[in-house]
Amino acid sequence: MRGRVPRAALAAAAILAAGACGIADAGERSVVGRHELVIGVNADQPGLASRTASGGYEGFDIDVAKTVARYLKVPAGKVRFKKVTSDTRKDMLQSGAVDLVVASYSITPERKVDVTFAGPYYVAHQDILVRPSEVVRSVHDLKGKRLCRVKGSVSFPRVHDEKGVAAEPADATGYDDCAARLGAGALDAVSTDDLILAGLSARAARDGRALKIVNAPFSDEPYGVGLRKGDVKGCEAVNRAITSMYQGGTARRLLGRWFGGTGLNITTTVPQFEGCD
Amino acid sequence: MTAVQQAPAAGTPATPPPGAPPATRSPARLRRAPAAPPKGLRRALPRTVAGRVRAFTALIVVVLVALLAVVWVAVANARHGVRVIGHDAGPQVVATGDLYFQLTDMDAQLANALLVGGTGSGRDAALARFDEDRRKAGDALLKASKLADESTENQTARQLLEALGKYERLAGQALLLDQRSGHAPGPPGDEVLRLYREATTLMKLDLQPKAYNLTLDNGTLVRHTYEEQRSAVLTGRTWTIVTGAVLLVALAGLQLFLAVRFRRLLNPALALATLGTLVLLVAATTMLSGQAGHLRTAKQDGFDSLLALSRTRAISNSANADETRFLLDPGRADAYEQVYLSKSQTVLYLQAHNLADYNQKIQGDLEFRPGRPVPFLGFLGTEAERSSRPDQVEALRKVLGEYRRFQAGDRRLRDLVNGGRRSQAVAARSGTAEDFTRYDQALQSLIGIHQAAFDRAVDDGDGGTSGWYAVVPVAGVVLALLVLAGVRPRLAEYRFSK
Repeated sequence: MRGRVPRAALAAAAILAAGACGIADAGERSVVGRHELVIGVNADQPGLASRTASGGYEGFDIDVAKTVARYLKVPAGKVRFKKVTSDTRKDMLQSGAVDLVVASYSITPERKVDVTFAGPYYVAHQDILVRPSEVVRSVHDLKGKRLCRVKGSVSFPRVHDEKGVAAEPADATGYDDCAARLGAGALDAVSTDDLILAGLSARAARDGRALKIVNAPFSDEPYGVGLRKGDVKGCEAVNRAITSMYQGGTARRLLGRWFGGTGLNITTTVPQFEGCD
Repeated sequence: MTAVQQAPAAGTPATPPPGAPPATRSPARLRRAPAAPPKGLRRALPRTVAGRVRAFTALIVVVLVALLAVVWVAVANARHGVRVIGHDAGPQVVATGDLYFQLTDMDAQLANALLVGGTGSGRDAALARFDEDRRKAGDALLKASKLADESTENQTARQLLEALGKYERLAGQALLLDQRSGHAPGPPGDEVLRLYREATTLMKLDLQPKAYNLTLDNGTLVRHTYEEQRSAVLTGRTWTIVTGAVLLVALAGLQLFLAVRFRRLLNPALALATLGTLVLLVAATTMLSGQAGHLRTAKQDGFDSLLALSRTRAISNSANADETRFLLDPGRADAYEQVYLSKSQTVLYLQAHNLADYNQKIQGDLEFRPGRPVPFLGFLGTEAERSSRPDQVEALRKVLGEYRRFQAGDRRLRDLVNGGRRSQAVAARSGTAEDFTRYDQALQSLIGIHQAAFDRAVDDGDGGTSGWYAVVPVAGVVLALLVLAGVRPRLAEYRFSK
């Protein structure tokens, strides 16, 4: 009878001690440890992310997204892609409609206020696409040329207002349209992110029309992986995924696959990360 | 049950019929008293008074041991956290942060040496600093690779070492070629420029990103330790309070039990034990709260700021070198101006269309007040946001002032180049270099303030727990003896009264 009391108390003490050791911060919704992922991507950028005939998605962004998902141990069958645009991606991330955004999403100090960014997984640069016969060496040579202008895109204002180069605006509905008009001679130059230009140039080459990338970069566009604000753990995991993507040669292979042979100078070393906090 | 009158079957320990006369002492009734099985916890209670006192005492000793164990574990967690953040990984991560600075400075000094040209003292000074940077970079890289705890990090460190060797080879070739050609101050010859471009591209695209990412990776180690240990200390505090409260209730219960059973007013030894427990409880709780606070100060006020400011310094230095490169390499002047702007905006972000716009806006209002929204972003914006102490705020204001002056000088220099007066611009470069040095010194004194806060928090953290590994067992022995001293005479009295 006497032995029982201490034993009961010991059991109680053991429960208390166990509780004291292992309490983690709860309620945290990280992309780490998920069984499925919804990834927001663009649908209209050849080479980066576009729809296939069968209704799927393809491009460099898509392959990066798949590589990251694989590193997060989410099986390929459990990864869903959802179309986002520059207007919707922030809200969709915040509302939880998508878990990650891989959609040529440039990291800027203003965006970092609302979104946690892993990466960048690539630093793109604004560059210029012309017909091979055109003599354009730098952005300053666009003076007096007909430069494609797409409504809602910052690329034309960046040349015209920020760089102060007096290019003539030539309106188009989108960058596909720009490339078509450039090929047809309706305008002289297209300027936007070099990876998009490379995608356009590769597509034009398949259609039998050659277009030339000038390789005169005049801006840095660090493409980041957008995560819900505060998901530091997820951000660190995605950064490790990107690091290993470059170390294992996957990045080099993917960049070669989507942008090789377009004449674009591609960087195949890991970009400088922004940091997760 | 009441309706069915059954004759009690032999051997059946049934309850007697309710209607049975109380006078009849049936055999079943006789058996009932000892057999009535106490249910639940009551079963564990001894039924003699002495047994109960002993059980109560044993319970108190067990809870006391649990309390001491909880405090011990929490102290161990606090000490581990302070050790990692304050003495081990923390300072080492800050040191690896300097790797990035050394690398950018190597490239900046290479640009200086090639821009100065000839065999002047400026060139010698630049090369001496280049060698020193190289040595420090080697040290920092060694530390960083020791800290690396994942295979990707190890691989990054190895690749960095390879790239550094390649960079040195290119730099050596460019310097040798430049020396042979003996050029006047200003842009060097084409072949030198080609080699320099190759070296600086390697630095920008390969070495710097990897060095930066390695420090970020190492930093996560400190963050994880901090979050785990701080949470463990706070959980330990909660359990200290819970077990302490249980112990106080048990002591008070025993006091009451003895008072009722033995008709005594107060058991002095038990009262003293209760008081001692209360003191221990308050002291331990205060100490653990203090430890959580020291950990937070060391991490957020010290480590985070130190790491961020070391990056600020490195990126500023690299922007300063881009100003040199802008002069050195007219063919790439546009690109260098672009990266200068993007680095400047990393340091202090203001929405700006181009560098001229940025230079102008930076001369505007940069005033900030603790607790109010800061009107700019970037590293210095984050720093302004978390600065609360007056000495930090004042030092940061000085940094902002010097940064603004440096940017104004940069504007004048670029205006000279754009106006076709490149040689005047090269001459004016020494002025902006001095502005930069003053800005860098202001940054360093701000870093010094955070370093002091960090050291203080780590010292407090060390001091706050130093005696507790002795306090815990001594307090345990004293309290246990007091309880026994309070109970023993009562038990003896009970024995005699028997």
